[in-house]
Amino acid sequence: MNLSIFAWISDTPVAAWVISSAYIWPILECIHFVSLCVLIGSLLVIDLRLIGFYRERCASMVKFLIRLSLMAFIANFATGLLFFAGNTFKYIDNVAFEIKLVLMMAAGINALFYKVRLGHLVDTEEVSWGSISVGYLSLLLWGGVIICGRMITFYATY
Amino acid sequence: MKFLSYLEASAFSEWVLTSMLGFPTLIALHSVGMAVAVGLSFMVTLHLNRVFIGFKAQLIPRLLGIAVWGFILNLITGLALFVSRGPEYIESYIFLIKMLLVVISAMILFWLRQYLRPMNLTTEVSVADRTAKNISLISTVTWFGAVIAGRLIAYLSEIYR
Repeated sequence: MNLSIFAWISDTPVAAWVISSAYIWPILECIHFVSLCVLIGSLLVIDLRLIGFYRERCASMVKFLIRLSLMAFIANFATGLLFFAGNTFKYIDNVAFEIKLVLMMAAGINALFYKVRLGHLVDTEEVSWGSISVGYLSLLLWGGVIICGRMITFYATY
Repeated sequence: MKFLSYLEASAFSEWVLTSMLGFPTLIALHSVGMAVAVGLSFMVTLHLNRVFIGFKAQLIPRLLGIAVWGFILNLITGLALFVSRGPEYIESYIFLIKMLLVVISAMILFWLRQYLRPMNLTTEVSVADRTAKNISLISTVTWFGAVIAGRLIAYLSEIYR
């Protein structure tokens, strides 16, 4: 693997800032985990509607929850990027990190599919095979993202 | 303390600490349980406090029921992790703060689920009473406090060093 890109990231001012104080990393971890809880909570409510756990018309609620989950995701992703910058070599050849990225991309595509094809469903009391599939897939993918995220430390090769 | 040392010396504890899967699996499932319990409790708090609307009253105890299952997963994996390092955890003040916050949060979760159960309205919970609103707000502080304290255990105590 070409390590120069990782070496360059490690030398950026952002990387230096992340490890410049003993307080920054723990604070970032706290933000990462709090935003994770908000993200999973809002996605769970949406996914439970998609799989038919409840069938209310809830278009405005889902709109709010999508916005909330996006904000939580941005906070989660930003802190994740800072972890990556601050300890780049931990992520090289790290199978847990690679699987986590794949699962996140799959979850994004799944969410996009929901938005384009099934977004209208929450304004009805209907549930379809498509919505059930999207809902369960989302739960599985995000569960996998959490598990792989926690595994990164244990699969670090550097 | 003697009992905790006994647990720490057990075969299960050794498996947790030395096997490839033990500790990583438990900590990963611990996080899944945390995200479900804290996330759903927070969503119910937002709804009770009218930050967003859309649930029918009957749905709230059902959502809190799922949060309870998340908490149970969190509790079981937390106990398994505790067994492996009991004597060290018990001497960490940040761990004790986390435990206090978790106990308060869990009590509120169970109480809220029970308290909201008799409300058998067919409309949205538009006028959830003040007690439920305020107690749920307290649980948001304690849940997120527990999450933060949990993250800080590694930094503010000798465990994992």
